[in-house]
Amino acid sequence: MNIQIPSGEERHVQRRGGATIDGAPVAYVAALTAVMIAFTIIPLPLSIVIGFGRSFPLSQGLYGLVGWLLGPLAGALANGIGVLIGIFVNPQNTTIPGASVAGAAMGALAAGVLGATGLRRRWTLPLALFFLLEYLLYGGRAIVQNGADVRAVLAGSFINWSALLLFILPTRALCARWLRHADLRYVTVALFLGTWISSGLAHLTSATWVYFIYNWPAENWWLMAPAAPVEHVARCVIGAIVGTGVIAGLRATGILKPLHAAY
Amino acid sequence: MLSWQTVPRQSLFTRLDFRSKLVLMLGVTGVAFLWESPWWGGALTLGTLVACLAAGVTLRYLWGIFRLLLPFFIFMLLMQGFFAGPLIIARTRQTALTPLLQLPEHWFLLGGATLSAEGLTYGLNIIFKTLTMVLVTPLTIFTTDVNAMLVSLVQLRIPYKVAFVFSSALRFFPLLAAELHGILEAQRLRGLDLERLALPRRISLYARVAVPLILGALVKSQQLEIALQAKAFTGDPLRTYLHEARLRAADYALIGGVVLFLLFAFIAYFAWGMGRFSV
Amino acid sequence: MTAPLVVLERLSYQYPRSETLALRDISLEIQRGEFVGLIGPTGAGKTTLCLALNGIVPQFYGGRFFGRALVAGLDTVEQPVHALAARVGMVFEDPETQLTATSVENEIAFALENLRTPRAIIRQRIARVLAVVGLTGLERRHPHELSGGQKQRLAIAAALAVEPAVLVLDEATSQLDPAGAAEVFSVLRALNREQGMTVVMASHAAEELAEFADRLFLLAEGVLVEEGTPDTIYSQVALLEAHQLRPPQVAKTFSLLPEPPVRLPVRLEEGLAALPKQLVGLEPPAVISQRPHAAPMISVEGLHHRFADGTPALTGIDLAFYPGEYALIVGQNGTGKTSLVKHLLRLLEPTQGRVLVLGRDTREWTVGTLARHIGYVAQNPDQQIFNATVMQEIAFALRQLHFPPEEVASRTAEALTVLGLEAVADQHPFSLPKGDRARVIIAAMLVLQPQVIILDEPTTGQDYAGARAILDLSRVLHEQGKTIIVITHQLYLMPGYAERVIVMGKGQVLLDAPLRQAYHALGVLRDTQLSPPQAVLLGQHLCPAVQLLTPEEVAHCLATSQASGGDPC
Repeated sequence: MNIQIPSGEERHVQRRGGATIDGAPVAYVAALTAVMIAFTIIPLPLSIVIGFGRSFPLSQGLYGLVGWLLGPLAGALANGIGVLIGIFVNPQNTTIPGASVAGAAMGALAAGVLGATGLRRRWTLPLALFFLLEYLLYGGRAIVQNGADVRAVLAGSFINWSALLLFILPTRALCARWLRHADLRYVTVALFLGTWISSGLAHLTSATWVYFIYNWPAENWWLMAPAAPVEHVARCVIGAIVGTGVIAGLRATGILKPLHAAY
Repeated sequence: MLSWQTVPRQSLFTRLDFRSKLVLMLGVTGVAFLWESPWWGGALTLGTLVACLAAGVTLRYLWGIFRLLLPFFIFMLLMQGFFAGPLIIARTRQTALTPLLQLPEHWFLLGGATLSAEGLTYGLNIIFKTLTMVLVTPLTIFTTDVNAMLVSLVQLRIPYKVAFVFSSALRFFPLLAAELHGILEAQRLRGLDLERLALPRRISLYARVAVPLILGALVKSQQLEIALQAKAFTGDPLRTYLHEARLRAADYALIGGVVLFLLFAFIAYFAWGMGRFSV
Repeated sequence: MTAPLVVLERLSYQYPRSETLALRDISLEIQRGEFVGLIGPTGAGKTTLCLALNGIVPQFYGGRFFGRALVAGLDTVEQPVHALAARVGMVFEDPETQLTATSVENEIAFALENLRTPRAIIRQRIARVLAVVGLTGLERRHPHELSGGQKQRLAIAAALAVEPAVLVLDEATSQLDPAGAAEVFSVLRALNREQGMTVVMASHAAEELAEFADRLFLLAEGVLVEEGTPDTIYSQVALLEAHQLRPPQVAKTFSLLPEPPVRLPVRLEEGLAALPKQLVGLEPPAVISQRPHAAPMISVEGLHHRFADGTPALTGIDLAFYPGEYALIVGQNGTGKTSLVKHLLRLLEPTQGRVLVLGRDTREWTVGTLARHIGYVAQNPDQQIFNATVMQEIAFALRQLHFPPEEVASRTAEALTVLGLEAVADQHPFSLPKGDRARVIIAAMLVLQPQVIILDEPTTGQDYAGARAILDLSRVLHEQGKTIIVITHQLYLMPGYAERVIVMGKGQVLLDAPLRQAYHALGVLRDTQLSPPQAVLLGQHLCPAVQLLTPEEVAHCLATSQASGGDPC
């Protein structure tokens, strides 16, 4: 052990960090973007049939996690670019590229705001109003314009309105607190709940867009009613397991934490 | 392995600037979004397909996409064919649909449903919309060199740091995809036959593969950060570029053409009903 | 005399959240045109010293900095890193993370673009530096398409493009195969000798530093222990070994003589020159077949494999592995070593031929069941960590396979003890050093009690002590009756561990022989660009028939012959 006092004169060290995007080092954002591309294009044998007749890639369970790791804006950027490049590389993964990109970005934004402290908490209300507007364009249009049954629409969009409610209610603050908890069990619960919220709102953003184009028949809402929650639980399980592992690892390694990270 | 592709030969499309191709992509997507008539939509899809082939996008690639989308298209066609009736009646004020086939009454859930010609036509419209949007992507992206794209993005006032994230993510994802493969192997080598497990356990085990991948990527990103600093990277947009992006006459002509086409399509849709869904 | 290019004055540095100094009171000078080597065990402070030369230490990390570092007249605490980047070219260990662009030319242009160099000059520089590192013609390639050696040469080209005053390389060859490392060293030698480029290189490659460096600095625990020419440093074998460093085998050999020369030879040619004329009349040792007379555990019969794109990976392999063997598979990257072992695990399937494990075709096994008989530790331990504590990681497979809790507990405890990991059982695997993480993965594989253990390049990127620790562990497992297969290209490490060597080249088995015989098949090794240990080459010169392997054997032979007046040993 070298515990001797250094003989040289101590210098004033000015820390000049590298380039950052909303407090997250550019290299971190690039790395997580590349992670999202990898998860978007690698087909994992998880063929769960969902409302739209498509299976979903692992990345859909991780939209929120990226928001908590990087903060809302850098997270949205990483998700958006990651999914966008994923589509360029492997276009058959989605039928409407814009919807997937917007959904992924909004998922991280919602998660980042959900986990925010300080002034950033003020972003909650405008964001909630935005999601409410989306919901009206989605479910509202189905009922008013396309004549779908109210109960069918409510049942088929359960994951979306429940996510919005949980985002507005105090569950948001509880999630934010538990994400930072020293006990990993609390972190896991927060990740499950937080993924329900963020992926539910990501799904809402995509689905609003998709519904504009496809105008699926009223019967489809009933088909989605049992399928969508099952698949959503799968996303939350993925979010909770991956998130717990990653956050435990990050705490152990002491890798530099981005300014607006929520773990 | 899937990778970023660039068409092998030079064509009008490879010479165009990325910005004008982006306008083309947005214009075509906008019109595809607007038109509900399968005939007009089909013509747009065909045009995009021909452009793709002319630009050098391989038939093999296009066929690959089509094959993977086929199940979705069949699902869409049947779904709309059987169930789009009320929607079409609401849209077209038409009172009766042309029945093609009726499922026996005793069939569970679907019994009595009628396949209508109008429903099938509406399904076709959705298929063409989707195909156009999917095809316009390789037309724009695969005909552009990534580094030229980066410069174009910066000239479009996209912050340099964002453009940098875009390009370095492209550099690193093949690495991570290979690593993901290694991690999946490592898990199987712990004696677990994943393919034989029940779905919930399989999901939880697959989810675990993401952990080393993400942690590894973050550890590497710290090394990347140091390498970037050692190369004088500051994220400052005031820098020079090896590649240049310049709009030439052909680019202006394309942008002008797309704008005119878009205007015409919107006016014709709302004024004369061109591209509207009708039966 | 001109002013020195690099001046460090009583430099000390402490990382944030660390209680010890990473560097302590370092004072040194480096002249223009010098080739300087930094040596020391892992944790000695070599990387920190390299990063202090371009200001990343302390400007990126923060922490406490004492004394002064001047590079080309610039104070590295006062000047921002991007200004220093124009004077100091850096090349790092990992070929992957330091290449950030999507084409070779853009990689070279990147730093120049950041320094706002006009386009015409960037073009000129690209052409020039690519010629220097021998990559002309590859301008449009994606870095992913380059070999490891080419990637590091590209990193050097990118560093040279800014026309730096000094080129700093931190372990830049430690992840390369011997052919790749040779490419890098030959580029560095040309740069230094022909263009007068100042080079600072942290490395474990003792033989190469002895050859190329003008001066060496020996660091240990952040302190500059010794400074001098390779001749003075590498001839202090006891000092090096006290700091867990490996001297060149030539120096080690001569240090073992009863009366070692005053100045030990440190380069191969000097060693060869110092040997007496070839000893004659020696009897070749009887080659004892160590192959057990049992039925093979694994048989590979007429194995061919083609990758999906049609590239042949393996072309006609016939091999058998017997219970209780310790075999070594050697060859350059891309010669099919890993493809071969992946067939044993059914991670790849034969295009032609078959693989039998315990008498059954691997096509009849699942990967999971096969893995319970053959344990495989891949090169990068970090890709294999799925759990939050060492204990959970080791118990992971057993729990997933529904072993009874008592058995999970007993097997986990046993593995923790064998691997010496009891003290860190509750820690996160990522909080441990790399060598320990590899041990966690070995433990996690051992709990399944496989009969065969395959270690794929277990020593790459480890220092000498770390590499020996893992190999010692392999020996313990071998003594317990396990069959061990190690893939490596670090031949000098393996005498004393492995019994049999399989040399691979271009997808074929070029040689399959007992280790002693294989190490002396110089023609085969040369064809595959593998370098035999210096002791083997000394032995060849001294008495080729005896097939000497280690510095100890060569020294013993030499000492005996000297004592008996030149008679055979």
